[in-house]
Amino acid sequence: MSKMQKTLKRLAGQKVLFLMILPCMIYTFIFSYYPLSGWIMAFQNYKPAKGYSGSTFVGLDQFKFLFQDIEFWRSVRNTLAMSLMNLVFSFVFAIVFALLLNEIKSLGLKRITQTVSYLPHFLSWIIVCSLVSNMLSTNDGMVNNFLMAIGLIDKPVLWLGEQKYFWWVTTFSNVWKETGWNSIIYIAAISGIDQALYEAAELDGASRFQKMWHVTLPGIRSTIVVLLIMNLGWVLNASFEVPYILGSGLLQDVSQTIDIFVLKYGMSIGNYSLATAAGIFKSVISLLLVFGTNAVANKLGENSLM
Amino acid sequence: MKLKKLCAILLASSMVLSLAACGGSGSEPKQDTAAEDTKEPEDANTDTADAAEEESGEDTAGDEAGADASGETGSSEENYYGGLVPLDDADDPITYTFFVRDPGVVPADNNPVIQKITELTGVTIKFEFLVGDLDQKLGVMIAGGDYPDVIFAGDAGSKLRDAGAFIPLEEEIPKYPNLNAMYGNVLKYLTQADGHVYDMEIYGTFQNDVTEVAPPFECALGFYIQKAVLEEAGYPEVKTVDDYFKIIEDYMANHPEIDGVKTTGFEILADGWRNWALLNPVQNLLGAGNDGAVFVNQDTLETSFFQISDDAHAFYQKLNEEYQKGVIEAETFTQNYDQYISKITTGAVLGFYDQNWNFQSAQDLLKADGKFERTYVAVPITNPGVKDGYLDKSNGIPSGTNGIGITVNCENPDRLLRFFDWLCQREVQDYLQWGEEGTDWVYSADGGKELTPERRAIVRDTARKRDETGLTLWNYCPKWQGIYTSDGMPCGTGESPDEYLASQSDYDKSFLEGYGIKYPAEMFSDPIVRAAYYPVWALTLEDGSPAAVANTKITDVTMKFYPRLILAKDEAEYESIWNDFLKEFNTIDLESYQTEIDSQIAQKMAK
Amino acid sequence: MKNFWRIRVGKHNLGDLTFHTVNGIVMIFIAVIMIYPFWNTIAVSFNDAQDTLRGGITLFPRAFSTYSYESVFKNKLMGTAAVNSVLRTVLSTVFGVLVGSMIAYVLSRRELIGRKFITAYFLVTMYISAGLIPTYFLIKNLGMLNSFAVYIVPGLVSVYNIIVIKSFMQSLPDSLTEAAMVDGAGHFRCYWQIVLPCCKPVLATVALWCAVGAWNQWFDTFLYASGADHLTTLQYEMMKLLSSAMQSGRDNSSIFGNNQQMADTITPTSIRAAVTIVASVPILVVYPFMQKYFVKGVTLGATKE
Repeated sequence: MSKMQKTLKRLAGQKVLFLMILPCMIYTFIFSYYPLSGWIMAFQNYKPAKGYSGSTFVGLDQFKFLFQDIEFWRSVRNTLAMSLMNLVFSFVFAIVFALLLNEIKSLGLKRITQTVSYLPHFLSWIIVCSLVSNMLSTNDGMVNNFLMAIGLIDKPVLWLGEQKYFWWVTTFSNVWKETGWNSIIYIAAISGIDQALYEAAELDGASRFQKMWHVTLPGIRSTIVVLLIMNLGWVLNASFEVPYILGSGLLQDVSQTIDIFVLKYGMSIGNYSLATAAGIFKSVISLLLVFGTNAVANKLGENSLM
Repeated sequence: MKLKKLCAILLASSMVLSLAACGGSGSEPKQDTAAEDTKEPEDANTDTADAAEEESGEDTAGDEAGADASGETGSSEENYYGGLVPLDDADDPITYTFFVRDPGVVPADNNPVIQKITELTGVTIKFEFLVGDLDQKLGVMIAGGDYPDVIFAGDAGSKLRDAGAFIPLEEEIPKYPNLNAMYGNVLKYLTQADGHVYDMEIYGTFQNDVTEVAPPFECALGFYIQKAVLEEAGYPEVKTVDDYFKIIEDYMANHPEIDGVKTTGFEILADGWRNWALLNPVQNLLGAGNDGAVFVNQDTLETSFFQISDDAHAFYQKLNEEYQKGVIEAETFTQNYDQYISKITTGAVLGFYDQNWNFQSAQDLLKADGKFERTYVAVPITNPGVKDGYLDKSNGIPSGTNGIGITVNCENPDRLLRFFDWLCQREVQDYLQWGEEGTDWVYSADGGKELTPERRAIVRDTARKRDETGLTLWNYCPKWQGIYTSDGMPCGTGESPDEYLASQSDYDKSFLEGYGIKYPAEMFSDPIVRAAYYPVWALTLEDGSPAAVANTKITDVTMKFYPRLILAKDEAEYESIWNDFLKEFNTIDLESYQTEIDSQIAQKMAK
Repeated sequence: MKNFWRIRVGKHNLGDLTFHTVNGIVMIFIAVIMIYPFWNTIAVSFNDAQDTLRGGITLFPRAFSTYSYESVFKNKLMGTAAVNSVLRTVLSTVFGVLVGSMIAYVLSRRELIGRKFITAYFLVTMYISAGLIPTYFLIKNLGMLNSFAVYIVPGLVSVYNIIVIKSFMQSLPDSLTEAAMVDGAGHFRCYWQIVLPCCKPVLATVALWCAVGAWNQWFDTFLYASGADHLTTLQYEMMKLLSSAMQSGRDNSSIFGNNQQMADTITPTSIRAAVTIVASVPILVVYPFMQKYFVKGVTLGATKE
């Protein structure tokens, strides 16, 4: 049998599998790949009034505009910094929270804590940011009051006025709002761990922390790795709202992200092409990151995306 | 775009607010309205419509409607349609869809006023208000050609015009007498580069023979100061930045706390698009109004960047001094709008630079608390020896940024225009804005008009105003604004001196007496008739053009450096930040922007 | 609760007790911090709009008022909006979970020919976006403008969810399906009868994601269905109300001139609070139902071995 025939025979054996997935592949083509023809906009000076065919072709001008502006690179740096800090802290907090929650014996307390913790997810960033900025106020703000009461500082700190604090403020705002929500998947993963493993560990005389370390964490490890890789691909997309709402002229150097830059110089002044060009730039970086980390994970023998 | 949109709103408001005296540019107000008193109301409609059709292309229909009316008795009672009487085709219902670039809520179905209008005309306007982002909405609307019948897109209207979304109106408007009376004299300003008129401007009093601009009662923007501060200083004239901060400092020294709250001397709000307190004052100090990102010399029309002038250097250095004295606090640059408002409601803030609608809500609370002495008044601050230019007197020229257009998808534009025309009758206008005599408004002692307390309560409640009055319909359709020339009556409540005085407290009255004036606006120089180009911010920059990019950069760079200048530790640091600022400002493609603005100003002045 | 009080002498249990006490306190502390924003929003939503401008509302309303809620519920489209929102949420969740788990099952089969390619084919779509206008054209060309389908079809396949389900399925022992295959079960039966029941926790999570995602969506109504009142959704109505409240402070000046005291009964802050509560409470009740799949803990042990 030739190789071709072998493959065909295997294909025939998998016809149910393909029946299950082919419609979805066609669907994905229509909804995700086909509209990409719109990327032509990035190489045009696109005007909605003229459409794709009528707009002037400008080659790489939009990309040049982005790459030649120092503000754009500053935005890239800020986006990366905030996204990565955010990624690390939100993962760590969500996982630790899920682990601790799992240890609660009282079912009532467990349920209440779990339910309550995901409430902030349903609030808009405007609400959360306004609470954050009230708490950080130098004018009777909770944080300054507390720090002064315990003697860590002797006069109120202008948290939102100094560049060095800003990334931390956005990171912890995110942790506050999303930890509970992010932990749901880990809670689910933990509950999927085989109870027999715990019993075995107990027989071996494992302590509570040993069980966490040797049973629970490995049990959710593949989930962590998979989520981490997928989210890494979004580092250039993340963090638009918080820096936008909490940022100010004083903080512009650290608070302007790619999306804010594109909003100001793209959509706001009717330059749709610039937004598309920036989108392509982000897609390319994202794909490199995802497939790169995935390959690394594969090498390390981790459970990966593919 | 947010900023521009806001500016458009401000222009709209400033037109309603601070316009004074008559319609400018040498047009002599005539002693009549667009009344046509020789025809019976019933057949007037068809007769003149026919006449207009025959005469289409000429502007005689308007003349007939306007000039034929007997000058002396030009009563508003008679007109072309006969007031609140049904149109011929009122029993043939028709619905028009109307997209509005503002967010809003559609009036309730049982809104009595709108119901009645529909009953009389057969026309139902189905409003769709903006939710989300206007650029996205228009982007897809244009890309797909999915237009409603009418669109009010504000300054984004240029996108729709470029896309060919609107039908030309230059031959239509003259067919409708009331619309012609309103727009006939300013058609040339509404004409686009391709020779067509695509929109009917809905905010402002234009050069016409029916209305004239209303006098301003208050200055709507500038350096505000608490009335108590002026009172304690013995109602002084406050003219310069030094005067202004001097009395604030004196008051602060005497009153370190107000009602138990630490006194704040001066606030500068810089939250997102609400950035004018930081960016705009210098042009006012130079004698300009709320013009835009460049200073325009009114004699030579030369433009210059006031942001980097010596005047700016001096002004921000003064603010820096005030920061070091504790009059300005660093937190002012980090606070958001809500915090700013809540701070003003304490009554412990002595001054700020702002536009009055922006802190209105805080002032309302102060009034509700009976703290009338803690409310604010604008003072005419300029550089020494410069005449203040805070108050505008309309030049009667449409801005070109506030028009409604009828789209190519509209199946029956004639009926719609006739509806608009019908709405522009004085009776209908009064009905929409004032309501019914006796129940909604009454004549005041001196013959003016004021609202009844019940009606006043309704219009102060957003929801009731929307659901119980005709103001939504009025707001987005062509309308008369200002003072009716024929009898001096105000078109709307905002233009009524009686309504203004009725809302003043005893404290306000004694405050005005202290200065010996009737309205706060009298503290300022007389309103200035603006040149035809005015204002710069309303000029439309081509999407994505270098000029548009430069415009954004100018805001960005100034927003970044001004707070730093004000918070500088000492003079040396101030100078070094100033130099950095100049360096960064000059890397902007200023030339593209300036060239574009210069050429647009020249274009507008040539009309 | 029983365990809390069972104090036995012995080092191990004392350590246990300390741990539980400390952990309990930490969790209560976290719960308090986490509930504060929501609690505060409720307090603001029941406070008089004018009074809220003064700031300083923390735990309880200062001047109680239900006016913000009244203005929310006055909207005659609320009924339609609620029905549409519930409908789209239910349908999106059901289809999302079914389609997602089916693709995940296929991708989790090691024998699948071209598995890497197909996975990558789906994966890539997560990081590319055509942008607003091309997507609008697609929807328009498919005839889905102003139709209910626009709420269900475009979001049908979520690659993120697929990968999460797939990785869970891959952690199941191979023996699970091998036995069934030997018994002559086809792939579809394997998927439906054997794999799916083992995936309950992850399916519950994905269902929650789908439900919350569909419920919170307003942008599609804005872009694709804003012309049709009968297709309005709760979130869209809430957005409308909120953006008009944000506008009202501004347009007063243009409508009334400078003289009116607009002691407005609606402010963005108050409306936002009321709108948030109205829009989130219905979806919040979903969680406790999902929770039972987490809290119980799945006893895979028996099936696995």
